[in-house]
Amino acid sequence: MLAYIIRRIAFGAFVLVGTSLITFCIAFVIPADPAVAVAGAKADPRTLAAIHHELGLDQPLYIQYARYADRALHGDLGRSYIRRENVTSVILSRFPATAILALSALALSLLLGIPMGMLAAAWRGRAPDHLLLVVSLALVSTPVFWLGTILLIVGGLYLRWFPLGGFSGPSSLVLPTITLALGSAGYYSRILHTSLAAAMDQDYVRTARGKGLSTSAAMRRHALANAMLPLVTIAGLDLGGLLSGVVLTETVFNWPGIGRLAFEAIFNLDIPLIMGTVLFSAALVVAGNLAADLLLAWLDPRIRLGRET
Amino acid sequence: MKLGLNAMETAGALMVLSLAMVALFAPELAPHDPVRAVAATFGDPGAPSRAFPLGTDQLGRDVLSRIIYGARISLTVGVAAMAVTMTIGVTIGLAAGFFGGAVDSILMRFTDVMLTLPALLLAMAFVAVLQPGLWSILIVIGLVSWTQIARVVRAEALSLTQRDFVVAARALGAPPARLIARHVMPNAMPLIVVMAVLGTSGTLLLDAGLSFLGLGVPPPTPSWGRMIEEATTYFRTAPWLAIYPGLAIFYAVLGFNLLGYGFIRRRGHSADFQ
Amino acid sequence: MTRRVSHRLRAITLALAAVTLVVFPGCRAAAPPLNFPPGAMVLHLATLDDVPTLDPAAGYDVDSWMFEQMLFDTLVRYSDAGVDLVPDAATSWQAAPDARSFTFHLRRDVTFTNGRAVTSADFKYAIERVLNPATRSKGMEYYRAIVGAEDFAAGRAQSVIGIATPDPWTISFRLTAPDPIFMQKLAMPFAAAVPREAVARWGDDFARHPIGSGPFILREWLGGQRIVMVKNPAYFVKGLPHLDAVVELIGVNDDLQWFKFEAGEIDVSTIPPAVFPYVMKTPRLKALLLRIVTVTTRYLGINCQMPPFNDLRVRRAFNYAVNKPKLVAVLNGRGIVANGILPPGLPGYDPALAGYPYDPAQARRLLAAAGLAGGMSATLWMPADQTMMILGQSIQQDLELVGVHLRLKPVAFAPLLEALRQPRTVPLFFSGWEADFPDPENFLAVLLSRAQWGANNDSYFDDPAFDALLAQAAPLSDLARRYALYRAAQRVAVAQAPWVFLYYPITYEIRQPWVRGYVLNPMRPERLETVQLTAHPGS
Repeated sequence: MLAYIIRRIAFGAFVLVGTSLITFCIAFVIPADPAVAVAGAKADPRTLAAIHHELGLDQPLYIQYARYADRALHGDLGRSYIRRENVTSVILSRFPATAILALSALALSLLLGIPMGMLAAAWRGRAPDHLLLVVSLALVSTPVFWLGTILLIVGGLYLRWFPLGGFSGPSSLVLPTITLALGSAGYYSRILHTSLAAAMDQDYVRTARGKGLSTSAAMRRHALANAMLPLVTIAGLDLGGLLSGVVLTETVFNWPGIGRLAFEAIFNLDIPLIMGTVLFSAALVVAGNLAADLLLAWLDPRIRLGRET
Repeated sequence: MKLGLNAMETAGALMVLSLAMVALFAPELAPHDPVRAVAATFGDPGAPSRAFPLGTDQLGRDVLSRIIYGARISLTVGVAAMAVTMTIGVTIGLAAGFFGGAVDSILMRFTDVMLTLPALLLAMAFVAVLQPGLWSILIVIGLVSWTQIARVVRAEALSLTQRDFVVAARALGAPPARLIARHVMPNAMPLIVVMAVLGTSGTLLLDAGLSFLGLGVPPPTPSWGRMIEEATTYFRTAPWLAIYPGLAIFYAVLGFNLLGYGFIRRRGHSADFQ
Repeated sequence: MTRRVSHRLRAITLALAAVTLVVFPGCRAAAPPLNFPPGAMVLHLATLDDVPTLDPAAGYDVDSWMFEQMLFDTLVRYSDAGVDLVPDAATSWQAAPDARSFTFHLRRDVTFTNGRAVTSADFKYAIERVLNPATRSKGMEYYRAIVGAEDFAAGRAQSVIGIATPDPWTISFRLTAPDPIFMQKLAMPFAAAVPREAVARWGDDFARHPIGSGPFILREWLGGQRIVMVKNPAYFVKGLPHLDAVVELIGVNDDLQWFKFEAGEIDVSTIPPAVFPYVMKTPRLKALLLRIVTVTTRYLGINCQMPPFNDLRVRRAFNYAVNKPKLVAVLNGRGIVANGILPPGLPGYDPALAGYPYDPAQARRLLAAAGLAGGMSATLWMPADQTMMILGQSIQQDLELVGVHLRLKPVAFAPLLEALRQPRTVPLFFSGWEADFPDPENFLAVLLSRAQWGANNDSYFDDPAFDALLAQAAPLSDLARRYALYRAAQRVAVAQAPWVFLYYPITYEIRQPWVRGYVLNPMRPERLETVQLTAHPGS
């Protein structure tokens, strides 16, 4: 088990080094002088030159990267050019809002997706199955920013049940959560359906059914547990992705999370903040992945014994 | 059972086909010029009426005509970006699966790194750097969405490479390029086609998302995502501006998804695509 | 095995449910209630974007300045509604007739909120801090003309010798060249007194722990959520501020602001475009409107060195072709069609200037005369901002009608500036200029003089007659002669059409009936120390 954990952590570390290199590359092909971002539109060339030197931008690239990596290892992602604040603390201050949204969206999507997947598998090949497939495809096909806008119009403007965006308490969480969860619910239901269908064909389930267990009982008691395993992997990955991929939802709902922060950073070409948010997001995905791996290893001893994904 | 699945596939095919028709015959179908002001509703969008069934926007442009023309750019971007995606993904996947060993390790570790990076965030950063334009958007979407395809194609290539006919051809000294072109590619083709169809729904959504964030193909080319973005200011007084372009995106994405999944279910190897 | 997996899955489900239970109360924890005492006079405001900074050396935008001027004091400041200077921390001053030296006498009752008295050394320190490249201040260049500033900035001197502090209540400045608007530069928040000891303690995080001498004190700044200011009881103007606190909610867009305004949750609001016509038609709401023409000009810059725009006829054709009243209509009337460079509200504004009316036929004639009867295409570089993109498309429509195919090139702000500084790169650009100082020099010399090529003259406009008029006007302290010369210079430039003159934006806000003393200033964010609330319902 320990060896397995170490292996997964080492892999995560490798991935993070890779992502930091890629984000660093993006930052340095930006066709804009960071000094202009710092000093503003009206700065004259002398000011720019002074700031250039001050930021260490006259150093060779590999030295700049080494400095960046060294500081990042110590939890320091530099200072925002526009906001002047420590990037790490800005990101951490925005993270709770995103985490709350992502966790509640994950919970809702599992709550919807699991029953849908089970229903579809129970009626495999029959009309409800096809209907549920079409429904889940419809959910996956809906653009989140549009769904969010429509929910705002209906739930916020006409019905006045929910706030029109912003983060102001539990009721403000409802619409963004639904927006974010529906697509994943469709996705999860399909995954569960597939793995359930496969599990139902396994010998032990067939045996159980041969002993007279009904389809639904066989599914609940025997097939479901194993069929959930792939879902754990995907949900773990998604949680990481959700935490970072909420740019559109946060934009529609003015949600003060890291998605909006990243959006603002990109629009201002605030390089340290762009690098910080991208790297932080990647770290979350790595962490989500790792958590899912460990969870799976705990659930399923076969994985610990060497069978790697 | 067969009927249900065929119906899904057929519906998807019809939806995609109808969209292609709309895109192709946009000038004939659109009642107005999509760019010009055809109503004097400046700053105050016009509600749907007999003359303008889906209303007019804050620059006096006909929404219906814009949606019809929008099919052109959306489909072009969706399909062309998919072509870029497939080119990158299939090349990397085939190379990794076929050559194995160090090539495989390096390419797949790189794929893992790219998979970790959030696609939309990365795409936004790239577009901001390259500046929005048709080409930059195609390339950026390709750059951020090839990973899944590379993985699936690699797995397929790996299993094909171990099949008897490939092993035999290899033993006879066939050069790798020929092995790939003659034996691996053709057998992986059905899979690649399905991946491309499904992937198009993804690129359509990504393009719409970028447009919504103001990073899509610049105006006057009407694009559905940008139409929604421009409508956000008016969503309380002129919701039609946002609703109809969203339905168009939904229709297009659903069409590709139905076509792809119908195909998968009929062939019965759905597990490959999760 | 199955049984065990099943148990463990149940455990996970429970854990997930527990997390969800934690999440919901967590929402409330995110922004705790403020609990002001009953009867406290609290002004509620809302905005979309977080305040960039509260450090006066760093901020160079309306949002930062709004709060900086609540926290800090400058020697002089603008009056509440106008562009004239009034005392702030200084009681009196003398400006030498040659506009090369200025002396200020300070009030003796100004204290920082850490209890220490504000002296002339604190004002000197503030300017030295801005001049120090390590501070990376956007205000650096406004103080470079002080004698010794260059040496100090380059690290060749320990202090700026041109700033003298003979005693704690006197400060004087010597300049290397005459500058009649130097006083206005001292009214910028960059020059506000800051305590050296607090900056030394907090470094770059001074913005999070600002200590000043202004009417308010920062109580709380929850990033992306809200900022809370409370009354400074030791503020040197007795009886001010009237308000006990100011709460600004962050992350509230226009629409949400409007709803909160209608619900009485906020006291002042901006007006979303879609609601604007309704407000104008409703007498009850119209009476509560606040309107100000800001000292800003929006224009389409033309690169005068790039063909075909080196041909005056083409530049004039563009001016006739763009339908400016339509732009103003698209903005719901929140603008005035521009007749030239200098906006109304700026001293020296010329109401008699004719400008270029909308005349597509004239535009086509001029293009034909320039050999472009067959049409042409051009690229307009612009910020990727939503409103700007809509206006850009409106201009695109207009130009299409005279045979000009306009491509829009949305670019992020920093790369746009970068490109503009390369000559012969950007043929057309969407831009705007907001006055730093209420003086025509700030528009004409900064944006159009030959000396500003590669810096701010993005049109690469070059006209010796124009430059000569500017040189004559610049050192004059006699305002009538000064403005007359600048008006003449403006006429020369407008005739040469280096820009398409678009519009002067108007800012509208709306206040609740119980808000008194909330005044919009054309140059600066509103000052809140004189605001009062009468019979505020609820809170």
